[in-house]
Formats: sequence, C-alpha cells, structure tokens
Amino acid sequence: MSDVIQIELSNINKHYGSFHALKDINLSIPKGQFVALVGPSGCGKSTLLRSIAGLESISGGTMSIAGEAVNNLPPRKRDVAMVFQSYALYPHMTVLNNLTYSLRIKGTNIKQANKAAEEIAKTIGLSDLLSRYPRELSGGQRQRVAMGRAIIRDPKAFLFDEPLSNLDASLRVHMRKEIRALHDRLGATSVYVTHDQIEAMTMADHVVVLCEGEIVQQGSPLDLYDTPANKFVAGFIGSPAMNFVEGVIGEDGKSVQLNFVHPQKIALNRKLPVGQKVDVGMRPEHLIISNDAANLSAKIAMTEATGPITYYTTDTTPELTLIQQGRGTVSTGDKIGLKIKPEHIYLFDKDTGLVL
Amino acid sequence: MRALFSSLRDGKGFDISLIAIAMVFLILFSGAPLVYNAIMSFQEVDIFNLGTFIRPWVGLDNYRSLFADPSTLPIFWNTVVFVFSSIAGQFIVGFGLALFFTLKFPGAAYLRGLFLVSWVMPGLVVGAIWNWILSGDFGILNHFLKSVGFISENIFWRSDINYSLWAVIIANIWLGTAFNMILLSVGLAAIPRDVYEAAELDGATAIQRFRTITLPMMRSTIGAVVSLGLIFTLQQFDLFAAITSGGPANSSNVAQYKAWEMSFREYDFARGATISVLMIVVVMIASIIYVRSTKQEVRG
Repeated sequence: MSDVIQIELSNINKHYGSFHALKDINLSIPKGQFVALVGPSGCGKSTLLRSIAGLESISGGTMSIAGEAVNNLPPRKRDVAMVFQSYALYPHMTVLNNLTYSLRIKGTNIKQANKAAEEIAKTIGLSDLLSRYPRELSGGQRQRVAMGRAIIRDPKAFLFDEPLSNLDASLRVHMRKEIRALHDRLGATSVYVTHDQIEAMTMADHVVVLCEGEIVQQGSPLDLYDTPANKFVAGFIGSPAMNFVEGVIGEDGKSVQLNFVHPQKIALNRKLPVGQKVDVGMRPEHLIISNDAANLSAKIAMTEATGPITYYTTDTTPELTLIQQGRGTVSTGDKIGLKIKPEHIYLFDKDTGLVL
Repeated sequence: MRALFSSLRDGKGFDISLIAIAMVFLILFSGAPLVYNAIMSFQEVDIFNLGTFIRPWVGLDNYRSLFADPSTLPIFWNTVVFVFSSIAGQFIVGFGLALFFTLKFPGAAYLRGLFLVSWVMPGLVVGAIWNWILSGDFGILNHFLKSVGFISENIFWRSDINYSLWAVIIANIWLGTAFNMILLSVGLAAIPRDVYEAAELDGATAIQRFRTITLPMMRSTIGAVVSLGLIFTLQQFDLFAAITSGGPANSSNVAQYKAWEMSFREYDFARGATISVLMIVVVMIASIIYVRSTKQEVRG
C-alpha cells in the first residue's frame, strides 16, 4: 500500500427521480488498498460501485481513477475490472475465450492472448477447464473464471459486487482467503461490496459502512468494532451483534438505570447529564457470567453449543446474547448474574443514535 | 373387456389413445394428401380420371415436361428471388426494430404491440391495401418517391414486368416484419444485461458487443426465424392472388402460385402436383434446419 490515491470520490450524489440514492459520498482509496463497502440492502453500496465502474451515471460530484477524471468516460475507457454477483461469464464462449475476451477486443494476437490466459489459469487453478463452457462449471469454478477474466487485464482497480453470495458457506470462507491472497500478490486496488459484515471485517484493510445512501463511518475493521460512531454501526459490525438495552442516566450522572426486567443499575466511568435517555450497548463477549458482584441478573432461555464457543440467549426483554469460550458452564433455565466493566459500556443518544 | 376399459381410463391405453387421436388427425389431413399428391405427380391425370385413384403411371414424364416448358425456369428463379429478398427484408427490418425496442422509452411496449397489426391481418386484406399504395396513377408510394425526388415518372408497380415481383416482395416484407421482430425481441430479452455490462467493462464498443455477444447468443433464434421465414414465404399465396395474379406475363409468378394455376385454372392436376412435390422437398429441408436450430439452444 502506498500514499498514492488510486480512486478519489468527492461529493458524489445520485438521484433516481426523487429518490436520493447517494448523498455526498467522499472517499479516497490509496493504491493497493482493499476497501469493503458494507451496509444493509438498499443502502446504495452497489450503486456506488456501479458508478465507479461507469455503469451508472452520477448526478453530481467528481470521480477520478489514477488521477484521471472519469466522470464523462464510458465504462470501457475507465480500465477497471468488475466481478459480478452472477459472474456474468460469456455463456457462448469457452473458459479460454472468456479469459482472453478483453485482450482480443484490444486486438492482441490470439497466440499471445492464449498464452496469457494459460498463465492466469495456472495461478488460479483453471488449467484443466480451459476448453469447457461456463454451463459445465461449478459455482466455485465460475467464480474463478470471473476473477481470471478480471486479472488478465491488469486493470487500475478491481471492483467486486457481492461475488461470494452465490456460493455455499464453506466455499465462501475459502474464496474469501483466495481473493485476499490474490489481492496481496497483485498489489491491486480493490473495492469490494458486501452485505456480510464478516466478509468486510476479515478481508478489508478499510471498511466503509453505508446506510441510506450515506457513509456513516469508515475506518479499519477493528476501529469500527471498538469505537463505533453510532448505534447503527455498533449493531451492524460484529457477530453476534451488540446487545442494546434502553436506559436513563441516574441521579449521580455516573450510572445508568436500565429498563431491563426490573430496573437495574450499572456504574459508568464518565459523567453524563442526569436524566438523559440513552441506548446502552454491550458486546456479548464483554458480558461475563458470574454470580459475585454481578451488575445484571437474567435467566438462560436458550443454549447453542458449537464446540469451541457456546452461545446463550436470555429470557429477558430485550433478550441478551452471551458467549462463552469452550463448553458452557451454565445451561438453559439457570439463573445467572452478569458482570460488565464500565469501559466496555457503549452509550448512544436515544434520539440521534450518536455515541456518547 | 374390463381390463381394456381400466387401461383406457388410467393406464397406458390412455396415453396411447391421446397420441392416436393426434396421429390419426395428422395422417388423415396432412400425411395422406401429401402422399396422394406425390403419387399424382407420377400419373397421367385428366378431368375424366380425376375421380379414380388407379390412373396411368407415367414415371417421370410430368417432371420432364415441366422442365421442358420454357416458362418454368423463370418462375423458379422468381421464387428464389421472392424468398431471399422477402426473408432478407423481413429479417433486417425486424432485427432493427427488435433492437430499437430494447431501448426503454415511454410507450415502447405499446408501440411494439401495434406492429403486430400487420401480422394479424389476412393476406388478402394486406394485398388490397398494398394495391392502393402501389397503384401507378394515384398510389401514395409513387407520390412519396416523386416528392423526395427519387423518381420523375410514375412507376406502374403491378403492371410493369420489371417491378411486378418487387411489388409483392415489398408487401410481403411489410407482412412478415412483425413476426420476425417479436421472435428476435424474445431472443434479445433472453441475453442477461450483466453480460453486456461485463463486455463493456472489458472494453468492447457497441458494435463489438453486437458482433461478439448479441449475434452469437442469438444464433439459434436467428436460425429459427430464417427457416420459419423460408417456410412462410414459400406458403405465401394470398398476396400474389390479390396484387398481381402472377402477371404480367408470368413476371411475378412463383412456384406456389403456378401450382395452383396449373391445377385449378388449367386443370393440369399432374403438373400442379409435380410443382408441389418439388416445393415440399425444399420446405422439408427448411423444417429440418429449423428443428435442429431450436434443439441446440446454447445458453448458460
């Protein structure tokens, strides 16, 4: 990764009729960085990616790739490669011809193009499949062809539009690593759209969280996890998700009264205005099951054991998710106490959702 | 008896009887007349032995005398010109319109539906309309060509031997374009949008995308459209009857119209049948191409 900016978006806006799909998007992507655009469906992440590719026009703002303004360039002149969710392979061409398509369009001679394709095929494990048609390939193989087709062009940036969502779970985990390894080997600049925050967290150097057409927060995966800017990011990043309980700041200003089963009180490590309404956020791993000096009490309603980790759900309203490493020490129906350290308590303004 | 009934109700017998009904229908109304027609082309048929089936066998005499007739070859050539020009015109205009209607503009669907009007109209009505359009003295086509300066003298489309065949071809192109457009539209709609987007990102211009994506992915549709076009054009009879009646001096006569003239104007049933048999062979070949092209669907 270097300091050279490869993709620069400033004040990007996009309207579909009266619908404001992208709102003042500002984003700088350094050369070699792997950026994930993540958010719930309808948040504008795919629209943003397609705008970078030039497949969607933007209503306002400037966009440059490798220092060149591309606002008015058609997709074929932007020199970016895209891997589609559906792979979008050319169904009437063999794998070899799918790989060499962009080279043949450019007028590279067939022998050279085929040689390049064979080399790419070797690196991504497609050598035996070159004479097959896409319909004769499995999902994972199609995915690889789509990647090969992007790599062969040596583009200025790779754009991925939810490329793993059509694969089964185990293959998805495997391809996640493969894509990241490929990115590192090529020193490429990648923009990766996903609705799966785990994918974003594990693959990206830099995560951009979008919601309703706006960037709500961006930063390194763990920064977003540790210091979410608002309740949306706090709830979206992390699996299992953060627990939220409504509360009011107590009369001393240094504790919060939780609206949870029966009113329960936990101490804070800072002072806030008395009577302020807040949402209290607690990560599952920060809630420690312990009966001495417990902050909260609850009853286990459900136990899910996966082997290395055990998940619990409490019978409270709202319900809490808890995790324990290894085999669980409590079981369904048990009454438990929960302890949390003051520095692990997140507070969000009830009205604005911003972190306090 | 009981076993037979139960088999008819819900066994193999039911399947067989369903097939049998269709087969009987086909053999009775298509197969038998075809065979009868073929046999007639090897017989001597006149008005007196028309009602019998056993007639003098003459072998290939009918074929020989047909080809000895100096009017036959020009008529066959007219048929070739008619078929190829009609198919080419219908296909090019139809494909152009199909591509045009893939652009999403307001009212596109309605407008495309309106084009089907030409297809649902009976050939004789279409012929009557084109008679007026093509009319030498007061036809709108001459008026239009004169006002844009293409011609200075009226063209007598239907009575000039240089134009009479083209008068029917123009009407036939108009008649068949909508059918081509609809089939080709369906083929175009089946190509996924993201394949075009991938090609666009891979650097292909609009023309390159058409050549490398659209045409190859439309191959089976195009095969079907062209072979159906061949079959429909060889069946085209109404327009000739309505516009030129094959004249003047056979200048716009084609095989299918000639077969009818031979049989039902000159009562030379044997030679009428002979022309029909020759046409059946051509249509058979077209049908085989059609069936094969629809079988080899290449879609991911």
